[in-house]
Amino acid sequence: MIPGDFQPQRPTSRQMVKLGVLGVVALGVFVAIVLGLTFHISAWLGQPVVFARSEGPDQPIAFPHTTHVQELGMDCTFCHRNVEKEAAASVPATGLCMTCHSAVGDDLDEIEKMRSLYEDGRSIHWVRVHRVPDHVHFVHEAHIRYFSEKDGIEPSQVCQTCHGDVKEMEKVKQVETLKMGDCVSCHKENSAPTDCATCHY
Amino acid sequence: MADSQDRKWGMVVDIDRCTGCNGCVVACQSENNIPNNLEEHFNQRRAIQWIRIERYWEGEYPNVKARFIPVMCQQCGNAPCEPVCPVYATYHNEEGLNVQVYNRCIGTRFCANGCPYHVRFFNFWEPEWPESLKNQLNPDVTVRSRGIMEKCSFCVQRIRRSTREGERDEVQVEDGDRALSPACVNACPTTALTFGDFNNDSSQVSMMKEEAMANRGKKEGRGYRLLDNLGTEANVIYLKKVDNSAGAVHGH
Repeated sequence: MIPGDFQPQRPTSRQMVKLGVLGVVALGVFVAIVLGLTFHISAWLGQPVVFARSEGPDQPIAFPHTTHVQELGMDCTFCHRNVEKEAAASVPATGLCMTCHSAVGDDLDEIEKMRSLYEDGRSIHWVRVHRVPDHVHFVHEAHIRYFSEKDGIEPSQVCQTCHGDVKEMEKVKQVETLKMGDCVSCHKENSAPTDCATCHY
Repeated sequence: MADSQDRKWGMVVDIDRCTGCNGCVVACQSENNIPNNLEEHFNQRRAIQWIRIERYWEGEYPNVKARFIPVMCQQCGNAPCEPVCPVYATYHNEEGLNVQVYNRCIGTRFCANGCPYHVRFFNFWEPEWPESLKNQLNPDVTVRSRGIMEKCSFCVQRIRRSTREGERDEVQVEDGDRALSPACVNACPTTALTFGDFNNDSSQVSMMKEEAMANRGKKEGRGYRLLDNLGTEANVIYLKKVDNSAGAVHGH
């Protein structure tokens, strides 16, 4: 065969089918990868934002912070008693609710629910709203102490820095992303340590 | 937190006091949520012990002696494990601690290969505890999952907690405080382990270090570091065994 004499072979119909199948499979794989990436990236970036915009989860008992804090003027630390002492802010036992509600709010369904739980000696299984990512040790006490000393404010006025205006929330929802970016930028602003082992251990 | 910058944690281990009781090992296991090491884990050389007692036999029968060395992470000032980590999961902090960041670790195991002391441990399995022990896990310590490296942290959770509680209650946390000391130090029945701040000249550890290192190389000097010739600048100082019977054995 001399150069230039080359005749490209026409693909047989069998080869055409093979190529077609391969093309479809490759297209499918590509679409799957794009969809997967989109899902993961949007989940990573968007989850807390979506969460923050959303209503917040339904609780077993529709406890209104508005009534207790806004109308009655109760202090955050009255119920979340541990917040000035330890790592966890703590949610009170039903016994604390009953100090008032043994006498108050007789005709309300939600209070009856709580009372029956109290009488059975069971606790309320609240749905957790705020959760920092894994491997983080967040301590409420140190943060409350620092900000209330720095700004000369009551401990209960510090809460809204991360939790938003809970007293106006019918249903508690997350307002900050509570991701590491939030923590680190605030730590930098307040020249708090940014060593990994401050929180991760 | 302001004064935390200029602390440098270290430990002095008096071999002469160590009886090899393994109390420190057990205390460490329970403090730091270390999964139970089964026999097969030891057989595969995959057991996790942040602090271990190395046992050596010395002498010929009938004058055989057992020698014990507790070995934990030496928190090297010039750590071979740190520069090899591709994801910066292990690094040195201002307090002289060699920190392992679990959520950064991707499990390359380069650090464990770099460590001359064999004190880094890889989680080859998902950690497991018997049902009865699940409620004893320490909430202050992360439960490490499969595929990441872990090692002694000098009980950094205890350092953090005692510092914070000291600030809260406005008391100075002293070296040798039980709340500050790692679990192994608290557990040691013969006080062979001493923990504290090397930067504080009046602390017990820095006095012990000074005394031990002043007479280095001399006969009365007992201080040494493990594998010191590698230049790791370990923050754990060992004090040699004082063997009064050695003379008698050799007939002096």
